[in-house]
Amino acid sequence: MISVQDLSIRASEKLILNHISVDIPLTKWTCLVGPNGAGKTTFLKALLGLQPYSGSIMQNGQEVYRNHLRNVAFVPQQPQIPMGMTVAEYVALGRAKRDGWGKESLKSRNLIYEILLQTQLFGLHKQHVAALSGGEMQRALIARALAQEPEIILLDEPTSALDLHHQIATLNNIEILKDRGVTIISTMHDITLAAMYAERIVVMHGGRILLDGPAASVIHSAELREAFDNRINVYTLDSGRPVIVAAKEDRV
Amino acid sequence: MSERNHGASVGIGRIWNWRITAISAVILLLVALIGVSFGPISLNFGKILRTLFGAPGGLSGQERVLLLDLRLPRVLLAALVGAALASSGAVYQTVFRNPLADPYLLGAAAGAGLGATLAITSSGGNVYGLLPIFSFMGGVLAVLTTFFISGKFFAEPNSLLLSGIAVGSFATAIQTYLQQRHSSALRPVYSWILGELTVANWQVVRWSSLYILSAIAILIVVSKQLDGLMLSDEESFSLGINPNRLRIIAVAAATLATATAVSASGLIGFVGIVVPHLVRGITHRVTNRSLGAIAMMGAAFLVIADLGARTLLSPAELPIGVITAFVGAPFFLVVLRRKRVSS
Repeated sequence: MISVQDLSIRASEKLILNHISVDIPLTKWTCLVGPNGAGKTTFLKALLGLQPYSGSIMQNGQEVYRNHLRNVAFVPQQPQIPMGMTVAEYVALGRAKRDGWGKESLKSRNLIYEILLQTQLFGLHKQHVAALSGGEMQRALIARALAQEPEIILLDEPTSALDLHHQIATLNNIEILKDRGVTIISTMHDITLAAMYAERIVVMHGGRILLDGPAASVIHSAELREAFDNRINVYTLDSGRPVIVAAKEDRV
Repeated sequence: MSERNHGASVGIGRIWNWRITAISAVILLLVALIGVSFGPISLNFGKILRTLFGAPGGLSGQERVLLLDLRLPRVLLAALVGAALASSGAVYQTVFRNPLADPYLLGAAAGAGLGATLAITSSGGNVYGLLPIFSFMGGVLAVLTTFFISGKFFAEPNSLLLSGIAVGSFATAIQTYLQQRHSSALRPVYSWILGELTVANWQVVRWSSLYILSAIAILIVVSKQLDGLMLSDEESFSLGINPNRLRIIAVAAATLATATAVSASGLIGFVGIVVPHLVRGITHRVTNRSLGAIAMMGAAFLVIADLGARTLLSPAELPIGVITAFVGAPFFLVVLRRKRVSS
């Protein structure tokens, strides 16, 4: 359990996160949803341990801020592309914390080989990262996170820049991690996809948490509609899966 | 899991690239031997080696003095300065994620220039005693000022670059004013700005090697982690790095090397940009993975440039900065062009 108590984060005068408290279960997939500016990314950075905060975020009885003992992978929305680095080297960075920088062990190299196959990057592995397309870059990021063998993986809008085909491929790769017992915490703007994959949904709005709970109950709640200013409609497909679409306002 | 090393087949090179490091070391040794051998008076290779290793049949008399008291310290100083500029350039380029970052960027050059100008204008005769101290202090002070006024360094590396430009312009303005007031100082200041190794002696070699070699040693120790600084702070933190601390260590060591190099030899341009890109062009690798090679290639480059400075207009000397720019600029363009064609 990651226990968040009275967490606030201020940027200059603005309160980005406003006294939020929530428990995030381990080994589950939790998805943070909400409109832009809700504070999702800031919350993710606080959970990483890099962002200073007031209040507390405890995991295994320890505060997460600047705690390098945890092994948390971070997949940013817009990664910084390193110059002159190949895909294989980029994925290998994921081993740095375990093996030490620049000391990939034989076991790590074999693992990287398997991850490259699994994420369909084998064949591209000698290309420079800078030459990858959006979908390939996203796979490289996931591959690096897989190589890290993390206990927690934080993903900031992992599907935002992808077409539907790559969105599903990426989400399936993340699901593999979850099946291995990794805790997944992601932000996602597509709530339908979030409801398909995540077990738990936390709805954020204006730096506060409006609602958190099992995906199915959150999706049909009035609070979700409120978070999006009543501009969404929820339908249920024959399969029982919910679909969320933008409510088009009728012009008079 | 199979015993086969699949890692080799996916091309994850060891971060430390022994082959390019060894080749660079051999090139540096050869170039240094050529450097001490050629000049207005040529010295025999065999006799040089015998003299250096204390074997019988070495140089004697004036030739021995020429080698040990003039050429050797000069070649060593050129090598030290070249190594300092090339490795700090490579590190700055990584830390600031900017391929055109050079070692003089944070105001070190302008600060050192102001210090040198102060030394030249304030002392009548004994310029060379004060000059290295003043320019070293000027360079370090300028960089400290840059850090001080750039409060947001931790959030945004670019703000540090901008502060460096502001501090540099300010120091240059004062320097220009001083030069206007003391027109007799124009010539020595100008020749110092173009870079010169004519002052090389064992004393200069001793103190500059102390600073430069320790700075390069620190840079090589942290160079493996510098890969992480090419990512965003969140990513590098998640991979186990403290990005701000690493940046401060790297920039401080690179600045120490640069300030020492500038105070020992004036402003020698282009080494800090050309050499890292050249080594990267040859090895197709991330710069910080071959920092040792970059330092040695920088050393070799400057020893050759200094040989040109001493011999091309012999017995007169060309400023070494003229040679590095004259060779470096077109060479740089060729590398850039080839890179564009190949990609």
